[in-house]
Amino acid sequence: MRDDQEAATHRGDTTGPDDLVQTLAEIDVDGALRETADAAVRATRRDLLRAIPLAGAVSAGLLTARGAQAAPGLTKNDVAILRFDLALEYLQAGLYTEAERLGAVKPRTLAFSRVVGAHERAHARAIKGFLGSKALPSPSFDYRGVTENDTAFVKTAVAFEDLTAALLKWQAPRLDSRSIVAAVLTLHSVETRHAAWIRHIVGVLPAATAFDQPAPQHEMAALIASTKFVVSGWTTIRRRKPRFTG
Amino acid sequence: MRESLTSRETRPSWSRGSFLRVVAGTGGAALGVVLVSRGVAVSDAAPSPAQDRRIFQFALLLEELQSAFYSDAMERGGLRGDLRVFAQVVGGHERAHVAFLRKVLGPAAGPARSFHFGTDTSNPQRFGVAAHAIENLGVAAYNGQGAKLTAGAMEHAAEIVSVEGRHAGWIGALLGDPPAPRAADPGLDANAVLAQLKATGYLG
Repeated sequence: MRDDQEAATHRGDTTGPDDLVQTLAEIDVDGALRETADAAVRATRRDLLRAIPLAGAVSAGLLTARGAQAAPGLTKNDVAILRFDLALEYLQAGLYTEAERLGAVKPRTLAFSRVVGAHERAHARAIKGFLGSKALPSPSFDYRGVTENDTAFVKTAVAFEDLTAALLKWQAPRLDSRSIVAAVLTLHSVETRHAAWIRHIVGVLPAATAFDQPAPQHEMAALIASTKFVVSGWTTIRRRKPRFTG
Repeated sequence: MRESLTSRETRPSWSRGSFLRVVAGTGGAALGVVLVSRGVAVSDAAPSPAQDRRIFQFALLLEELQSAFYSDAMERGGLRGDLRVFAQVVGGHERAHVAFLRKVLGPAAGPARSFHFGTDTSNPQRFGVAAHAIENLGVAAYNGQGAKLTAGAMEHAAEIVSVEGRHAGWIGALLGDPPAPRAADPGLDANAVLAQLKATGYLG
C-alpha cells in the first residue's frame, strides 16, 4: 500500500530531536508552520486522486480517544496543524479554568466559563489523542489579570472564540487526513456556538454575517503573541520544510 | 472527472471563482433533484466535483427550508423583541446561503421548493423551539458531509456551517437552553437528516 509507505516516511520525518521554539510569535516569524500548511493544500489535492476510506468514526463519537496509534498515520502537515490547535486549546482551557477557579467574573460569564472550559479541556484531550506520541505538553500561561476582570475577560473570550472558529475553517481544507478533517469540523461548529453565546452575553450580534471568513494560522499566532499570555514552554515545532513540496 | 481534477491540480490556489467554475461547469441537468423522493445519493467516495454537487444539492434543500421558515415566521409569526431580531437576521443569512448554493449549482439546483410549517411559524413559542431544531439539524448535516468535499468546496461549506452554529447557539441562549450542549457537534449522515426533515412534516 502506498499509504503505508507514506506513513512510514512521515514517521521517519517527524521523529528525532526537535528544535526549540519559544513562542508562537517566533513560529510565525519563522514561517515554518505557514509553509507546512501551504504544502498541506497540495497534499490534500493528492488525496483527491485516491480513495480515502472514511471510517465510521467520522460521524460517530469523535471525542473518544483515538489512541496513540493515531500519530503514525498522521502526515507531518497534520502534526504541525494539530500541535498548533492543541496549544490553542490549552490556552483557552487555561483561561476558562482560571476564571472558574477565581470566580471573580459576573455570574453569566462564570456559567459560560464553566461549560466552555469543560469543552476546551475535552478538545485538548481529543487532539492529544489524535497526536498520540506527537502531542506536546502545555506551555505555561499568565493571563495577566484578565480572568479577574469581567470586561477584559469577556472581550478576550469573544476574540478567542471568533478567531478559533476562523482558524479551524482555514485549517480544515488543509489537513491531509479526512478523518481528522471530520473531527476538526465537529469541534469547529462548537467554537462558533461558544462565539455566539459570549457575544449574546456581552450584547453584540451573535451572528454578524452570512459567511464567516477563515483566518490563517499566522494571524492567530500573531494575536496570541500580542496577548503575552504564553510565558514559557512553547516547545518543539520542527522548522524543516515538509517533504511534500508538490 | 479525471480531467476536472487535473485542472484543479494545476491551479496555484483554489479561489472562490475557480471552485464555482469547476462545480457549475460540469453541472448535470440529469441529476435533477431527487433528494427528497429517493433518498440522498451522497456516498463515501473520494471527494470529487460530482460529489461536491450532490452534497451542495442536499445543502440547498436545508437552506431553502430554513430560508422559507424565517420568511414565513416574519410574516405570520407575531414575533417581537429578541425573537424578531433573530428571525430577521438569520433569515437574511439563510437567503444568502440559498443564493450562494444556487449560483454554485447552476442548473443542477433545480426548481425552488415549497414547504409547510403549520403552527411552527405562526406561534412565537413554537417558532423558537422549531428554529432551534432546524439550526441544530443544519449543523449536524453540514458536519456529516464536510470531510467528503474537495478542499475548495469544504472551505465554502465551513464558512456557512460556522454561521449555522452561531444561529444554533444564539437561539439556544434566547430560549434559555444550552447554547453549546456538547463539546463536539457530531455529523449526521444525509439519510438521517432527511428522515428528521420528513418527520417535521415541513416537506409536505
